[in-house]
Amino acid sequence: MAIPILKQGPYLIASMQSEVGDADLVRLREDLASQVGDVRARGLVVDVTTIDVMDSFTIRTLLEVVQIGKLRGVDAVIVGIQPEVAFAMVQLGLRLDGVATALDLEEGLALLGRQMGGSADDVR
Amino acid sequence: MSRATTEVGRTGPPAPKPSDQQGLEDFWRVYDAHYEEISNDAMTLLADDPDFGPVLASMTQQQREEQNRESRERMRRAIAEGEWDPYFSELRVQGFGYAQMGVSFAGWFRLLSIFRPLLSGFLLDAFREMPDRLRSAIGAMDEFIDGAMAVIGEEYLRAKEEIISHHQEAIRELSTPVLQVRDDMLLVPVVGVIDSTRARQMTDQLLQAIRAKRAKVVVIDITGVAAVDSMVANHLVQAVEAARLLGAHAILTGLSAEVAQTVVRIGVDLSKVRTTGSLQDGIGEANRMLGYTVVRSQ
Repeated sequence: MAIPILKQGPYLIASMQSEVGDADLVRLREDLASQVGDVRARGLVVDVTTIDVMDSFTIRTLLEVVQIGKLRGVDAVIVGIQPEVAFAMVQLGLRLDGVATALDLEEGLALLGRQMGGSADDVR
Repeated sequence: MSRATTEVGRTGPPAPKPSDQQGLEDFWRVYDAHYEEISNDAMTLLADDPDFGPVLASMTQQQREEQNRESRERMRRAIAEGEWDPYFSELRVQGFGYAQMGVSFAGWFRLLSIFRPLLSGFLLDAFREMPDRLRSAIGAMDEFIDGAMAVIGEEYLRAKEEIISHHQEAIRELSTPVLQVRDDMLLVPVVGVIDSTRARQMTDQLLQAIRAKRAKVVVIDITGVAAVDSMVANHLVQAVEAARLLGAHAILTGLSAEVAQTVVRIGVDLSKVRTTGSLQDGIGEANRMLGYTVVRSQ
């Protein structure tokens, strides 16, 4: 099942669905890689709100998506990690080093807006 | 975890059983023949015992006699008919019950040290001319008494473990509150001992609060944490990381000089965590991160 990628202004928003499989993740990575260039996006939001379980493959794919974005000049932020998922991740040592995170879509877009015209420490 | 008290007498490790049947039967025959006398003598001697004196005094004559009767019957069935389960079950019930009542374990040593000379005396009289039978009867008595002590000892341990478990539960329930200091700022004052369960509870509450209040900065204050070892440090780092996954920056405050030295000594990597020595500094840092300036109005 393809993961929908929406465009909102200069941003791309990918909403992961809870039943996402490994193949879908690979497809997402490819789609994003090309779309980021096609639409000249400047920011990417990956929304994982509906994901209950984040395994290491999912996380690795997310990291790759972010890296690909960076290489193409796009800032990325992962949003919507649920408390239970966050807890499980830190317990298993699954890290998202160097990747910006935010509570939800609204915060994610706000963060991207600031990053494109503000200091890194500013969390307003 | 402790076993439920309703299962006292039915669960537990297998009971010791005296092995020399002839010796055991000889021992029982003599004990049974002098049961009343031995019980009365024992009770007289126990009247002054700091633990059992009050217990016996609180029972009516009728209750004492009934308990004696039942005890005797259980022992008979165990020794003469091999029905050891009811005997040991009852011993466990008594052991656990007395432990909960606060009767000291030493009291049991005193009680059984009263029985031993009484019983030995009668065994000596009965088998004076038969040293082999005397030896095996006394051997059986020792096994019998030691077996009883072992069972009672186990029950005492179990009773204590249950108390400890209750206390641990109570300590865990002293919940770690998550306080809202500003619209975007939460404060978690951590006090006391952090074990894995409590750390989990705290992190869980923190994450839920971050989501509910949409907090951007969290101050975790450990001024009240007595000792920080590598496990505790690990829990704190995990809490900080988990908060970040929800988009909140965490500041660890209240690291005392001792804690700071311990952290460095045990080699915990807190380099990626914002830390300050005092809560005050931590709140100041949090304000700055959120863009607040505190001005005193004259």
